Amino acid sequence: MLFAIINSLTTGMAVFLVAAGLTLIYGVMRILNFAHGAFFMVGAYLVSSMVGQAPPSTLALAAAAILAAFIVGLFGLVVQRVVLKRVQDADEHYMLIATFAVMLICVGVVKLIWGLEFLSVSPPPGLEGGNMLGPVFVPTFSIFVIVCGVLAFLLLELLLQRSWAGKMLTAMSRDRLMAQLMGLNVPVWMMVAVGCSFALAGLAGGLLLPNQTLSPVLGDQFLLMSFATIIVGGLGSIRGAFLAAILLGLIDGFNAIAFPNIPGVGIYIGLVFFLLVRPNGILGEEQI
Amino acid sequence: MNPAIKATLLVLSALVLLALPLWVNPGLLHLVGVTIVMGVFAVAWNLLFGYAGLASFGSGGLFSIGAYFMAVMLRAGWQDGFLLLILVSMAAGGLVAFLVGAIALRRSSGIYLAILTLALSEVLRLFLMRWHWIGAEDGLPNIVRPSFSIGIARVDLSNGHSYYWFLCLACAAMVAIMWWILHSPLGRTLRAIRLDPERTAFMGVNVYGYKLAAFTLSGIFAAGAGALYAPWAQIVTPDLGNMTRSVQPILYTLLGGASSFWGPLIGAFSFSAIEYATRTLVGIQEIITGAILLVIILVFPTGIAGAFSRFVGALMPSEPSSRHGSSVASAVRTETP
Repeated sequence: MLFAIINSLTTGMAVFLVAAGLTLIYGVMRILNFAHGAFFMVGAYLVSSMVGQAPPSTLALAAAAILAAFIVGLFGLVVQRVVLKRVQDADEHYMLIATFAVMLICVGVVKLIWGLEFLSVSPPPGLEGGNMLGPVFVPTFSIFVIVCGVLAFLLLELLLQRSWAGKMLTAMSRDRLMAQLMGLNVPVWMMVAVGCSFALAGLAGGLLLPNQTLSPVLGDQFLLMSFATIIVGGLGSIRGAFLAAILLGLIDGFNAIAFPNIPGVGIYIGLVFFLLVRPNGILGEEQI
Repeated sequence: MNPAIKATLLVLSALVLLALPLWVNPGLLHLVGVTIVMGVFAVAWNLLFGYAGLASFGSGGLFSIGAYFMAVMLRAGWQDGFLLLILVSMAAGGLVAFLVGAIALRRSSGIYLAILTLALSEVLRLFLMRWHWIGAEDGLPNIVRPSFSIGIARVDLSNGHSYYWFLCLACAAMVAIMWWILHSPLGRTLRAIRLDPERTAFMGVNVYGYKLAAFTLSGIFAAGAGALYAPWAQIVTPDLGNMTRSVQPILYTLLGGASSFWGPLIGAFSFSAIEYATRTLVGIQEIITGAILLVIILVFPTGIAGAFSRFVGALMPSEPSSRHGSSVASAVRTETP
């Protein structure tokens, strides 16, 4: 039972790492970014190229992930300049399609550079194996993922709630026009937010790399899960996404125990339930 | 655009499609057949998006419902009532769409509706993948192309290109029905709802009811496309309803132009042509497809159909001379049986 809960939390935190960037970019730009999963995948591939099939140490993995985050963040700035900026006032369906097009290009580039075959990367020494936590066996990598997720959440919360920059971003996501009238340089802050969002995708890709099978469809799996997470949590809310990630992780774990022959259905049923009963999510504010 | 030009183009493309089996190889013909079906599927999706202003990201689920119904019934050996089976599959899709729409349209719209439909179609796909009675992950292979009798005549679709021609006819019939529906008062009301739901409601229109009707109709024709697809591909798999499939009609529609009835069909054929031309280039294909989509979104938001009518409009800014128009129209009239 405890083992199942820890598994659920691992899934939840892994998804949260991806969803955090997604909900950040939604909050600021009101864009549901289909390309997010693809950039997550680019981050994972970048790190795999940097550290190889067997990363030498945890530190190397983390350093590579941060470097990947930086690179993907730069890609994000390019995407923002070339694409997102031009469609941000268009109909929301056109934004969806534009980001979908970016996703296609990303997947194509990944196929060109890294090919179609599956790659797998083992956890670095220090993160392989497991510990006995009381009576249950816990893989060290699970603990690593959970710690990363919680750390990322705390850092984001701290930055958004306490720092000057975070307050600017919050103000802007509340009311873009008013923020602009108050003298906020909205385009620049938007660039910052988009850069951060993409960097988070790259970072998540790097950190979650071990124990994943790398293939060009990796992005899709995480994308759907993260969509579910940010909607259940309330679009644009980091705190909501964190709670929702845990909730959906638990639902998925319960699903795996109670209905082992149809894995993965629970999350979607939970999502449908939330959309119908509480479409604004756990912590979402009334909007739309 | 001048209706005469439109009619000529329509008849010409129909003739080309019908004559296609005489000179292209089977591989390409299969692709063309799939494209026709996907074109109908995209028109069905645009019935919802272009007319009622609702974007569903789960239409792939309805497509696979149609395909699976047809596959199961054909494998059960009921090929004698093939035409009836198509209607049954369409009814199944319509029923599911009605039930989903009845709940979903009350509660959500915009992005929420998009994600809700996406989630529902994923649930369906996961169930199909685990259901052994219908082949689980491997799907249902060896679907026969039926032979059946209408009255005294016997129609055998199993040999040669006969199923291709049947496919063309059936798709043309579905497109014609959708055209007729959308050019009736229903279509006009839906357009009014898309432009301003609130004002339309004040005019005494039951907005929810009309949206639900559009949702159901879209489901009926999406399932119809799926039902025609099953004997053409001769295999159905759970991947028919995956996210890529649901997104395809959206791409086709936006590429072709959502504001035009024919846009989705034009888009389907253009898209397939691009994919066919780049089929040997792994990776480049996605890049080219994505780049074309981006250019269209950023430069021609009205799609190919919109760009084309603007182009034609620029060529002949004044009313075309009535003599020229009528001669083309009469030529068309003599060409159509």
